[in-house]
Amino acid sequence: MLLAVFVYLPLAQNLAFSTQEWDIYSGTSEFVGLENYEKLLGDAVFWSALANNGLYALLSIAFQVAGALVLAAMIESLRSMRWRKALRAIYFVPSAISLTVAGLLFYFIYEPNLGMLNHLLEAVGLGALTQPWLGQESTAMVGIIAMSQWQGFGYSTLLFAVAIQRIPSELYEAAAIDGIGPVRRFLHVTVPLVREMTGLMVIVTISGAFQVFNEVMVMTSGGPNNSTQVLATWLYRSGFVRNDFGYAAAIATVIFVVTLIVALGQLWYTKRRRVDF
Amino acid sequence: MRRNRTIPLAATAAAALIALTACGGGAAEPAADVTAEPVYEGKLSLLTKFAGEPLETYFDDLATAYEAEHPEVEIELIQETDQSIKDKTKTLTASGALPDVYFTWAGDWAENFVGGGLAADLTDLIAPGTEWGDRFGKASLSAFEYDGKFYGVPLYNNGKFMGYSKAAFAEAGVEVPTNFDELIDSCGPLREAGYEPIAFGNKDGWPALHYLQQLFAYNVPSDVLHADFDPETAEWTDPGYVRSLEQFKTLVNECTDSGSGTNGVLYTTAQEALAGGRAAMYYQEVLEFDTVTVEDAKLSTEDFGIFPLPAPADAAGDPNAVEGSPEGYLINAKSPQAALAADFMKFVTEPENAKTLSSSPYGQPSTVIGAVTEETSSKAVFEGITQVNEASQLVVWLDTITVPEVADAWLAGGEAIISGSSTPEEVLESVRAANADAK
Repeated sequence: MLLAVFVYLPLAQNLAFSTQEWDIYSGTSEFVGLENYEKLLGDAVFWSALANNGLYALLSIAFQVAGALVLAAMIESLRSMRWRKALRAIYFVPSAISLTVAGLLFYFIYEPNLGMLNHLLEAVGLGALTQPWLGQESTAMVGIIAMSQWQGFGYSTLLFAVAIQRIPSELYEAAAIDGIGPVRRFLHVTVPLVREMTGLMVIVTISGAFQVFNEVMVMTSGGPNNSTQVLATWLYRSGFVRNDFGYAAAIATVIFVVTLIVALGQLWYTKRRRVDF
Repeated sequence: MRRNRTIPLAATAAAALIALTACGGGAAEPAADVTAEPVYEGKLSLLTKFAGEPLETYFDDLATAYEAEHPEVEIELIQETDQSIKDKTKTLTASGALPDVYFTWAGDWAENFVGGGLAADLTDLIAPGTEWGDRFGKASLSAFEYDGKFYGVPLYNNGKFMGYSKAAFAEAGVEVPTNFDELIDSCGPLREAGYEPIAFGNKDGWPALHYLQQLFAYNVPSDVLHADFDPETAEWTDPGYVRSLEQFKTLVNECTDSGSGTNGVLYTTAQEALAGGRAAMYYQEVLEFDTVTVEDAKLSTEDFGIFPLPAPADAAGDPNAVEGSPEGYLINAKSPQAALAADFMKFVTEPENAKTLSSSPYGQPSTVIGAVTEETSSKAVFEGITQVNEASQLVVWLDTITVPEVADAWLAGGEAIISGSSTPEEVLESVRAANADAK
């Protein structure tokens, strides 16, 4: 019952509202059919936001799935338990920081005049590479995504480390006896046996990439010139800044459809790719 | 990858908000009778824009004093910042939960509440010639006048001026510029003297619009400019707009250290650059004057001067216009406590309280006649308000006088001009497209 009231009813209402034009001041509304969805098709910022979500997903898969898996394998291959524990903790620490705090932290790191990054580049003789990282369209989105990778990388690594620990050590010992090197052990033992976790991480990563909001709002609010808008921030701006709540509801429907597809994929994947030892 | 699930599903949030709209908005409720005798009991809610130091205590103290006078009354304060109050107000509006009294800017922002029947008509109480209305200058009251009716309680005046360090100017050997070209020419010597000529941060988008609106007032004939604020009559084709955008770009490139990267700098970082003695100038509101000369600032009150953004020599608009407007409060037309709300706002604008507002540490120049004097206010605030009062016209902020779609196009356009990703013509094209959508 609670699920129906707090999840399904709002979703159904959102779908209904996306077919209306609302005036929050007078409380009046007008049925406009699919007009808000037609408007989506011709809205350049919507498509740019969708592309930014896509870029976010791609880079997150590269760093937080592929990169995290490699790092987890390297950490778990260390002989020293003490080092393994220490490294897991070190990489996990950024994940314990809230996205809002991390976003603010990186905002100041990227600040063009006072920020640490530009000062660091100048200190090592790379002054030519200094940029107003969040202040220009060409680097702002990548800057935000980089912060997000820093923040989420350790968490993914920890999950992969747990998955690797579940692999029976006899398999690695047998491979070593057969003279198989660490790279091939990773490719032929680790990767296949953590595929369940990998699949799950890919799906969670894509789903998360289409729900990004906090870091963008904190670091750029979608600017400059809407270059860092993602679907959730464009939804927010359409509703709360442009007073176009019907259109915001249409964007929300798109986000819902995308995340629903990914969630269904997750269900399907976890049923089919279960790994048993 | 772990993701915060509190914000999304966005669908749920938007739906919840709009669902609340359906519940709260548009219900036929009796209009508030602000002229009734107030009943001094119950809770009165107030949404302010005074969150944070040093402003927060102003309404705290007033609420305490009012509650002491009327023990059966409880004042509930909801204090927000300049940035957060926009979202808060819209959320409360959409959910039909507007407080009894709430902050407003002049222009389209206030007009939305008036048009939606959410602002009580205060004409009988506050129109010029009434006992309460005579406390204020007519221009302050007119800022919230719609169709001959008065809706707002103006609390303080505001205007935008270039604040500067007299010491930096003396060191660089430059005089206060009298036209826009002289302003640009002063930047070289100031930079050579070791200062950032003009500190500027545009992370939030609106600071650029403050420059632009003042330049529009100078470069665009007044009748054209005011016609362009209304989507029904707007054309946005006057050549003064392109000229203003080009002048703005020149200022950003020639006079700021961050140049095309200014979109990555916070407004407050720029403010601190002037206060900290690193910058020579900073374009700011009267409300900020006392902030750049606070106790621990390197800039002293004696060293701090102001001048209007200099007009271009052959500008086609009004060279004596000043950008700014009063800010004030509306009384919820659906409030059952409307008469009490009006009584509380009368208390807030009593001359003594108005003087307190105008004095340090608040430094908010009250709209109440006689509240801003050389004794009650800092020299700069007094000078700024004097210039506001003497201006040929006050031009309201670009992002509150235009409809939201057009304001948003200007916000993106200002950022695009700074970063160099759009030409002035392209920005105007996007504004015209937004205006067409808004019609």
